[in-house]
Amino acid sequence: MNESFVSNWKSQIKKGTLTFIALNILKDNEYYGYELIEQIRNHTEIEVAEGTLYPLMNRLKTENLVESKWVEQETGIPRKYYSLTETGKETLVQMNAYWVDLEIAIKKIIK
Amino acid sequence: MKIENIKFSQEASKRVYNDYMARIKKATNSLSPQNQNDIYMEFNSHIFEAIHHQKQGNEIDSLLDILEKLGTPEEVLKPLVADKKLEEATKSFNPLHIFKALILNFTNGISYIIFFVLYLLLFGFVFLIFAKIANPSQVGLFYKDTSFWVLGMTNQKPQDGVHEVLGYYFIPAMLLAIVVFYTIITLLLKLKKTINKK
Repeated sequence: MNESFVSNWKSQIKKGTLTFIALNILKDNEYYGYELIEQIRNHTEIEVAEGTLYPLMNRLKTENLVESKWVEQETGIPRKYYSLTETGKETLVQMNAYWVDLEIAIKKIIK
Repeated sequence: MKIENIKFSQEASKRVYNDYMARIKKATNSLSPQNQNDIYMEFNSHIFEAIHHQKQGNEIDSLLDILEKLGTPEEVLKPLVADKKLEEATKSFNPLHIFKALILNFTNGISYIIFFVLYLLLFGFVFLIFAKIANPSQVGLFYKDTSFWVLGMTNQKPQDGVHEVLGYYFIPAMLLAIVVFYTIITLLLKLKKTINKK
């Protein structure tokens, strides 16, 4: 087995699906940055390079898929909460449908 | 919103934290104060939350661990600063913002290289105005016989059939070209952003 090829391929898949995963995690809840990273880790066992999440969230905001708000905390350090916009929710429905189709197709190929 | 710094019990942690936050400030200083604060507060919040979720262990060790996972500010913030700068630039017509945004986005694809070249041409027009003042006979819009020869500087003499047609009207003509060119570049950048969004 070509281990380095497989590990490269895995990291490409992870990188390519991070947006999709983050959007799905924000589907039912709003999360602040650190919490979102934890959720991604818990749900997928993907170790996110933590710093890369913030540029990603900014891009999703520019695309109007995600919105954010600062919420004051008793600790004095506010949190920035992210949630899906209406466009984000509609977009995600399409993305999820595509994913399901892709999954069926791939399952047929690899059986 | 007021920026509150995280409090540490160990002197070493304070120093490491202050150094990291100072590097964030430096890496984002080309952005508007609002964007700078936003990034600063978000990273500050990340560090704070991470510390509180990771209670065991020595303070300095966990801080170093958190900062390592977050990455070096210069590397991590590069794409974020480039994106935000472009957003800022297309909201205003400030040439300095646009030029900075183009440099930051230079590595992001061929289309920005085209914009960069267009922008260089724009600076070329500005340069020609000063060149015309310094050296009126060799700078201008030149025709060779009846056809267009060159816009800019030339060493050719009238006896070679090359003559300048605009005289000192060259300067207002260049000013007009700058305004037109500049508006076109900014509108193209906005158009590109709109297309990217779709």
